[in-house]
Amino acid sequence: MDRRAFVKRSCLGGVALLLDHWGTSPAYSQDLIPPAPPIHVNEPAGTAVSSLRMPGLYPGRVVEISDERSIVANRVSQSIVRQMIEQGMRELTGEKDPRLAWSKFIQPQDTVGIKINPSGAPACCSSPEIVREIVAGVQSVGVPARNIFVYDRYAYEMDIGSYQALVPMGVRVTGVQEHKLDVSGYDPNVFCEANFFGEWETRSYMASIVSSGVTKIINVPTMKDHSAAGVTGCLKNLGYGTFNNVERSHRRPFSFTDPLIGIMCSVEPLRSKAVLHIMDGTRIVWHGGPLTQNPDFIFPAGLIMVGTDPVAMDTIELEKIEAKRRKEGVPSVWSRDPKSLTNDGGAFYQDASKNLFYRQPHHIAAAGKLGLGISDRKQIEHHVIHVA
Amino acid sequence: MTQTAHDWPTLLCDNARSGGQAPQPWRAPGRARWQTNVEGAVRGSPVLQGELLYVPSLAGFLNAINIRSGRLQWRFKAPAAIHSTPSISSGRVLFGCSDGKVIAIDAVTGTKSWETAAEDEVWTSPVVQNEAVFFGSADGAMYAVQVETGAPKWKKVLGGRIYSTAHVAEKRVYVGCGDGNIYALDALTGHVFWKTATGNGIDCSPALADDTLLIGSQDFFFYALDAGSGAIRWKYEAELGITSAPAISGDLVIFGCKAGTLHALDIRTGKVIWKTRTGQAITAPAVVSGSVIWIQAGITFAINLSDGKVLWRAGLGNSLQSAPVVTNHAVYLAGMEGEVYALE
Repeated sequence: MDRRAFVKRSCLGGVALLLDHWGTSPAYSQDLIPPAPPIHVNEPAGTAVSSLRMPGLYPGRVVEISDERSIVANRVSQSIVRQMIEQGMRELTGEKDPRLAWSKFIQPQDTVGIKINPSGAPACCSSPEIVREIVAGVQSVGVPARNIFVYDRYAYEMDIGSYQALVPMGVRVTGVQEHKLDVSGYDPNVFCEANFFGEWETRSYMASIVSSGVTKIINVPTMKDHSAAGVTGCLKNLGYGTFNNVERSHRRPFSFTDPLIGIMCSVEPLRSKAVLHIMDGTRIVWHGGPLTQNPDFIFPAGLIMVGTDPVAMDTIELEKIEAKRRKEGVPSVWSRDPKSLTNDGGAFYQDASKNLFYRQPHHIAAAGKLGLGISDRKQIEHHVIHVA
Repeated sequence: MTQTAHDWPTLLCDNARSGGQAPQPWRAPGRARWQTNVEGAVRGSPVLQGELLYVPSLAGFLNAINIRSGRLQWRFKAPAAIHSTPSISSGRVLFGCSDGKVIAIDAVTGTKSWETAAEDEVWTSPVVQNEAVFFGSADGAMYAVQVETGAPKWKKVLGGRIYSTAHVAEKRVYVGCGDGNIYALDALTGHVFWKTATGNGIDCSPALADDTLLIGSQDFFFYALDAGSGAIRWKYEAELGITSAPAISGDLVIFGCKAGTLHALDIRTGKVIWKTRTGQAITAPAVVSGSVIWIQAGITFAINLSDGKVLWRAGLGNSLQSAPVVTNHAVYLAGMEGEVYALE
């Protein structure tokens, strides 16, 4: 492909953003964290920008539905999450008919990707029960099952979650990579480039299923603490779940998830295709994320959030995880206390006062500055529906 | 080809999922006779006949490796990834592919004998019994084809995707399904004799101990059913979902759950005999060989059958569905990194 058909968004995503939030972020106020290098974005020129692109049809609106019956004895109830998602879609869109609510985002001719988060499987990952209801919603507007892809970067993590067997027949279940070094599923022409720590491969490429395989994406993140990013929600699941070679942005105790997550989410066509976010909060990981299997740090919150604005949704998620950590008497995800750092992964997974990195929760506000949504809590329209 | 004592022609050695069971003294592996790498990750289990170990890979190769040297004798390129554990019968190696094909190749030369196709991917292992090959597909159907030609005998559409390898007894085919049901079909016609519901989808493969059918579900329960009627005799609750196919040894059934626990239960009562934590999610089947259980769960463990104590472990053989082949001379295992080992 002719590189001249592509745009390099050099400083826009890198230096400019960095300088912009350098003065405002508490993450940088104690001179503990080195400045991020410039990040260059190579994206297709002339990509049709969708009117649904993030922050989507409802900037700043977050619908939260909670129902404690949605998770009982660690099992997610199919019938209850069906009601919760229907109610959430109606509340988000103002439509009484759930089918009309879905049709605000999806048309019959679409090829739809459902981006799950299996990285904490089996203890905490996007619930197959929620995925089934999303498939049903997409099918209700006339999309055939064969045009629906449930996908993530890592096939083996999806395998642990048994998604292959648990989704409806006809739906395709696809992992972008079969193993860590597999690059065959990535588009060589769409990438983010930066040298964080002197790594030899400085590019992260966009998954082909995103760049050219699907026309719409429904994002299904989980609600988790994240040892590097602070939390993983809509933005982290989309950004680091779409581009490869992202682990290089962490080197203990530092991480450049801020600003890389937001920049990745701003790359077209990802930004235009991600039209809806349904966050699985049936379980919440308040420490040890994203991979913990320790049940002590996972609680059955029994909630689902629906919205089109990933920044607003992650802001609410961060608030909830912070509240839980406060209640448990452990340090904030904003903590910059070097004494809380450990290099011992075992200690991190057993002790909620320890962490591997200086977490970067400011990646959410940084994404807001890129236009991906609203992080100012006063401007977020948070609808809470408590069912039971 | 005549089957020899150390042959291991199908998942967990034979259609009874016995894992060999030959009495043999426990001896911890001391070294790798050889180690080799195949192209692509290995998800299914290797099988063994004569001097050749057959190893499927997600790069779409069926690799035939000489067990004395570890050298690749030949490899067959399939049209898509092979998740399926192969089966060997009548001089052919049979396996399913992600494009829906089931392929039979000559076990000596690696040339294709026949192929047949389902309408969606086949991750299950083909099971050969009485001149027929039985396999399930993600298209929701169980298929029976002729072992000599691949010509169809029957097809039965069930209610969900099939990732459970069938257990085939003389006249019946037992299989779990993504719709949460366990089915018993007539091996001659595909007619459904009975189905029994569980609380979530099933990707675990059943085993049969006399007239008790044993299988796990993603509803966290392990079930013992009357094989004749499908009635539930008992069910046992694990900490998380169960994908790991059960292995049987005498009165014991052994399986792993995704919480990383290996469970040994009394087949008659469902009573726990012992439980052992391995650390990582267990999705692969256990292999019982004499007094030892082998299980690949992140790393490879050898566990004492009588009390569940870990006898040996090694940081190799990371597996989703791959289980070792255990002979008197060596333990052969493969994993997601594409490495294949002969340990002795």
